[in-house]
Amino acid sequence: MTDMKIEDYLAQGGKLTNPSNVPARYRAELMRLMATFVDSELAGAAGFADVINAGPGIKERIAAAKIVMEKTDNADKVLKIMGEFGANTEKYANHHPWADRLPRDADIGTNRTEGDMRLAVFNYPLAGWSDAVVMNLLMGLAVGVQMKEFTGISYAPLAEAFREIAPVEARHAELAAEGLERTSADNRQASVDYWWPRVAASFGKDVSTRATQLEAYGLRKASNADLREEWAATATKALEKFGLTAPKG
Amino acid sequence: MARFHKLTVTDIHKTIRDAVVVTLKPDDPAAFDFTQGQYLTFRRDFDGQELRRSYSICAGRDEGILQVGIKRVEDGAFSTWANEDLKTGDTLEAMEPMGSFFIPLEPGANRHYLGFAGGSGITPVLSIIKTTLAAEPASQFTLVYANKAVNTIMFREELEDLKNRYMGRFNVIHILESDAQEIDLFTGLVDEEKCAQLFKHWIDIQHVDTAFICGPEPMMLGIARALRDHGLDDSRIKFELFASAQPGRAPKKAGKAAKAGNKGTEAVITLDGASRTVSMNGQTSILDTALENQMDAPYACKAGVCSTCRCKVLEGEVDMVANHALEDYEVEQGYVLSCQSFAVSDKVTVDFDQ
Repeated sequence: MTDMKIEDYLAQGGKLTNPSNVPARYRAELMRLMATFVDSELAGAAGFADVINAGPGIKERIAAAKIVMEKTDNADKVLKIMGEFGANTEKYANHHPWADRLPRDADIGTNRTEGDMRLAVFNYPLAGWSDAVVMNLLMGLAVGVQMKEFTGISYAPLAEAFREIAPVEARHAELAAEGLERTSADNRQASVDYWWPRVAASFGKDVSTRATQLEAYGLRKASNADLREEWAATATKALEKFGLTAPKG
Repeated sequence: MARFHKLTVTDIHKTIRDAVVVTLKPDDPAAFDFTQGQYLTFRRDFDGQELRRSYSICAGRDEGILQVGIKRVEDGAFSTWANEDLKTGDTLEAMEPMGSFFIPLEPGANRHYLGFAGGSGITPVLSIIKTTLAAEPASQFTLVYANKAVNTIMFREELEDLKNRYMGRFNVIHILESDAQEIDLFTGLVDEEKCAQLFKHWIDIQHVDTAFICGPEPMMLGIARALRDHGLDDSRIKFELFASAQPGRAPKKAGKAAKAGNKGTEAVITLDGASRTVSMNGQTSILDTALENQMDAPYACKAGVCSTCRCKVLEGEVDMVANHALEDYEVEQGYVLSCQSFAVSDKVTVDFDQ
C-alpha cells in the first residue's frame, strides 16, 4: 500500500482518530472549534444558572437546572478531548469568569470578547424568565442546525462526542418550547426581536476566510449563510405556534 | 491532563518476524483499567530527544493482563528499539489508556460485528474481538484481515484459537496482497471494490450492526465508502487510523541569538504555507503581532492553558511567560504558546504549520 498524504486523505472524507496523527494546522482549527463550543456551553450554562430562581414554578426551575447541568456536562465532554491534545482542563474550566456579560444594549456583531471564544450571543445578559426561555428556544434551534455539521466532523472522537451531545441539546430546545407555552408574558415578542439578530449572528459572517480550509479538513460542510437560513426557517415555524413572528430583515 | 506512569515488562515475544507482543505490569494498575480498542502512548529518550509513540492494546478486557503489539516500521526509532533491545524486566513509561475505538458492550446483545484490519491494525481489533465475544455470548464477529503475505500475519495462531473457542460466532477472512489463495476474491487489496464483492458473496452486510476499521489511509477510505454504500452511516462505523507516518518531529532546536537591541525585532511568521516579515516589539506577543498584521493565527483562551496557538520557533529567542499546556519535551523541540511568547532577540522566525 502506498503512502498517502494526510491532507489528501481528509479531502476524500477520511477520519482522524487520535492526537498523534493530526497535522499542526488541523490541530489548531480543531482546537479553535472545540474551544468555541466549550466556551459557549460554559458561558451559556453560567448565564442560565442565574435564571433558575426566576422560574415561575418548580417544574420550570427543574428544567432550568437540568439545562445548566447538562450544558456543563456537554462542555466537559469536549474539554476532555481538548485535554488529550494537551490543554490543561482544570485550569481551562476556571480561567475565565463565564458568567460575565456585557450591557444589554452593547452591539458587538460577530466579535468575540477578549480571553474567551464563546459565540458573541453569549455575551448578552438575559432579562428575566420569559426572555431566557425565548433565547434558549432560538439558540437551541441554532445548536440543532450546527449539530448536523458537527456530528459529521472528520475528527472521529469529537464527532462521537457530538453524537452524544446532539439529542441532549435538542431536548433543551424542546424544554424551551414547553416553557414558552406556559409563559404569557406580553414582552415575549420584544424578546424575540432582541435575540433574533444576535442568534442569527452566531452563524458567523457570510464571507468566511477560513471556510475553504475548514472544508478541506473535513471540519465543516455547509456555508454560514446556508446554516443560518435553515435555522431561520425552523425558528420562524417554531415561533408561529406561539403567535410570535420573526423580525424582518 | 494525562500523566506518565511506570510499567515493567513481564514478557516479550515475537508474533511475526518484525513485531513483538509486550506484556506490561503497571505500578498503578487502577490507572490502566483500559477499554477494548484503546492505546497507550509511550515516551522514551533517544539521544537526548524525547520520542512519543502510541501502540494499541491487544489484550481483551477479561484477560487480566495489559499487552500491546509493536510492529517495527522502517526507520522507526521506538519500534526498532522495542523489537531489538527491549527485554523482560525493563521499565517503560506510558500515559493512561486513551482512545474511543470501541462501543459499549451489552451482555444480552445479539449483534453482528464486522471488523477490518490492515497489517498491524489488527492490534486494537483483536482486543475488541476477544472482549466482545467473551462479554456478549450471543453476538457474532466477522474479521476481514488484510496482509501482504502469510508470513506477515500478526496473531495468526491466536486468531485460529479464537475461531475454535467461539465456533460459529467468529469468522476470519484473510485477504493477502501477494500470496495467491484458492479463492481469487481473497487475493489483492482490501479496497472499495473488494468490499463490494465480499458483501455480495461472503458477508451479510444487511445484518451488520457496527463495523470497526483500523488500517492505513487508503484502506480506511475504501472500506468506509463501501460500508456507506451499503447503508451503514458514520454512527455505526468506528475508525482507528494507523497513519503511515506520524508527524515528523525534527530534532532541530531553536538557535540562541543575540539579545534584542532597542530597534525592535524583525519577525518572520509562517502560517498556511505563507511567510510574512513584520516588525514587533517586546511588549506584544507573537500571537498579537500576527493578528495585528491581519494574519489569521489560531488561538482560543489567550491564557496559556489550551494550546490552540502553539507554534514552533525556528530561529531567535523568545520568552514564554506562562505555559500551562505544553510539556517539557515540546518546549525542548522549540514549541511555544504564541499568546504567551515575546521576542527577546533581534530576529525571530516562527512557524504555525509545524
